Amino acid sequence: MSLRTFILGLSASFGVAWLAVIVVPYLKMRDLAPIPFPESKATAGIFIPKRAGRVADGAKVYAENGCYICHTQVVRPTYAGNDLYRPDWGGLKNDEDRGDTRRETNAFDFTGETFAQIGLTRMGPDLSNLGRRVETQYAAGGDPAAWLYLHLYNPRLNPKLWDSTCPPHPFLFEKREIKGNLSADALPIDIGNNRQLVPNADAKALVSYLLSLKKDHAVPASLNFTPAKKEDGN
Amino acid sequence: MSAITSTTHDQDALLRAGIDRSLRHPVMFFLTSGAAWLAVSILLGVIASAKVHNPGFLSSCPLFTYGRVFPAHINALVYGWGMQAAFAMIIWLMARLSRKECTMIGTILTAGHVWNLGVGLGVIGILMGHGTGMPWMEFPAFAWPVLLLSYFAIVIGPFIQFRVRPEGHVYISQWYLLAAMLWFPWIYITANTLLHCVPGHPLMGAGINAWFRSAFIFLFFTPVALGTAYYLAPKVTGRPVFSYSLAKLGFWSLAVIAPWAGMQKLAGAPIPHFLPYLGAAATVLLFVPCCAAAINTLRTMLASRDTLAASPSLRFTVAGITGLIVLAVAAVLLNLPGSSLRLTQFSLSGYGFEILALYGFFSLVMFGATYFIVPRITRREWLSRSLIKMHFLFSVYGLITVILFTLFGGLMQGMGQEDWQSAWSPVAARPYAVATTFAWCLILFSNIFFFLHLALMWLGLGRRSTHPTLLVRSHHGSSPHGEEGDIDNAGPGHAATH
Repeated sequence: MSLRTFILGLSASFGVAWLAVIVVPYLKMRDLAPIPFPESKATAGIFIPKRAGRVADGAKVYAENGCYICHTQVVRPTYAGNDLYRPDWGGLKNDEDRGDTRRETNAFDFTGETFAQIGLTRMGPDLSNLGRRVETQYAAGGDPAAWLYLHLYNPRLNPKLWDSTCPPHPFLFEKREIKGNLSADALPIDIGNNRQLVPNADAKALVSYLLSLKKDHAVPASLNFTPAKKEDGN
Repeated sequence: MSAITSTTHDQDALLRAGIDRSLRHPVMFFLTSGAAWLAVSILLGVIASAKVHNPGFLSSCPLFTYGRVFPAHINALVYGWGMQAAFAMIIWLMARLSRKECTMIGTILTAGHVWNLGVGLGVIGILMGHGTGMPWMEFPAFAWPVLLLSYFAIVIGPFIQFRVRPEGHVYISQWYLLAAMLWFPWIYITANTLLHCVPGHPLMGAGINAWFRSAFIFLFFTPVALGTAYYLAPKVTGRPVFSYSLAKLGFWSLAVIAPWAGMQKLAGAPIPHFLPYLGAAATVLLFVPCCAAAINTLRTMLASRDTLAASPSLRFTVAGITGLIVLAVAAVLLNLPGSSLRLTQFSLSGYGFEILALYGFFSLVMFGATYFIVPRITRREWLSRSLIKMHFLFSVYGLITVILFTLFGGLMQGMGQEDWQSAWSPVAARPYAVATTFAWCLILFSNIFFFLHLALMWLGLGRRSTHPTLLVRSHHGSSPHGEEGDIDNAGPGHAATH
């Protein structure tokens, strides 16, 4: 076999797969067609994925500090995993206003990010709806951002999470002198010497991003694959 | 007639000695700096693993937060050790098999330094908090063009050598190496340009990243290690390769199947549904090329039991090929859609699979080849049999522990995740992590000595002897190689006996 034939053979065997699983799907998914949303009155019949918060900045901090190694951000359909059955992963099982909001992740859920942090392992829980969970459960009645700041500073300061394996991130906080009142987002930790712990710019971006993780908003029927639920849930 | 044969023998030995001499510094550079990176990577792996069961460990220092140490560990292992060991194999084997002296030493050494600089800055970049967040591609964006250019500068020489080689048989080793040399830039450029330069859908980006990791393993590390094993097995035992048609089957089935694999990590994510399931099917099918090559090389090596018992190269290679068989079985068992894929998709076993491929298969074969090549290019023998034995024992037992605990721990962890009726518990992975930390410590210990042993050999401090360092002590007073002698006094005729 000549070198030419050999290289042709390699190019053919690799090239077909390369085109079929990489290049063509990548180019086709670059611009997703808008999805009609006739049920919604607010958006003129088109589905417009919404997300509030410092998504791009926060996603960068999320990536740089390797959150994706232990936390996933995908709620798989029931044929691929049991994520949807958990009461608070795909949404909320009993939302006060909307009832059961759980649904699988869709292609519009990563709006504003350049790389979807699907994640590597689940040493920590899935974060697809972390913002929703913090607001309604973890920090119910309190300030969700403050709960997250304390969690980032050291997860095990929370007695409910005494056995958490999440690393502390003290470097996301700076020690600052107290002038007059405490800073609004200072941590409730007394470090003495007339000083306080306040989140730095990275921590603020990250918390804003984490609070934007609410992937349970209503979607058009064409994107809603969640099976019809009985009245009593599950 | 015999005079002619003896002359060709001498010329042959002179040619090989010339090739070895010309490649002494590049090969030793890649192997030694690779071994140093391996030790660094394993140290980072120990820290990362320790933090899983003891999250407060070193936590005051941002450099050593888990989310930075872990990617630094994997990237140092892949680009620092894996790629550099592969470079050493590619330049040495391509020169020997094409029977051409290397004439591009300067270029290769310069590019090798640039490569190390790129990897060093990349690892520091990750630790300083500038990682990109894309697994196996975490180096800050400046690094990939640097690495790519130095890659081309390193492999262009071996490629030209192959083009201008004297006419003759193309060995199966050359097929694998040549293919790896062509696949790597294709995979690397595709993943990096699409993810860094051509903004696309974020989920498809994650898919390409998963494909990149799989393709890197099966279309670069696997063919390089197989090419090396296909060289060592017949060379050390002195027997022909067991079956050439099996070798061809193994090669072409790898070429056809491996490019489709990888996206099963996105099963259930909203990308076109055929992609993850095609990926799972291809990964399962990789059993065929892996087993074909493994059986072929094992049969060749097992044909000569005495050599197997004595030769450190063969012992490591057999262990590596056994790792390949385990890898092939794991590829099937961990990726069955509907049963195991959902358990392993987001569990420790993904890491276990990567370590099995990178260390349990690829690195062990690289160690085997190192024990073969280094005495030839430095013209010195390995200093100590017990250092080699220790390297083998600690690596293999450490590795078995890491693999068992990550693969099975990952399965248990996956079952815990799928059990939605129990509350989420973060501690599932802890006991497995304790065992993993311990095992990484063993591997680190063995590799620090491997690095020192290599560095001493490069400094020319090896044994000056015509007797190779074998794993068994000779029972007879005199060795089959004749009298113990100074290697520098041995003529080309002696070199031919190696």
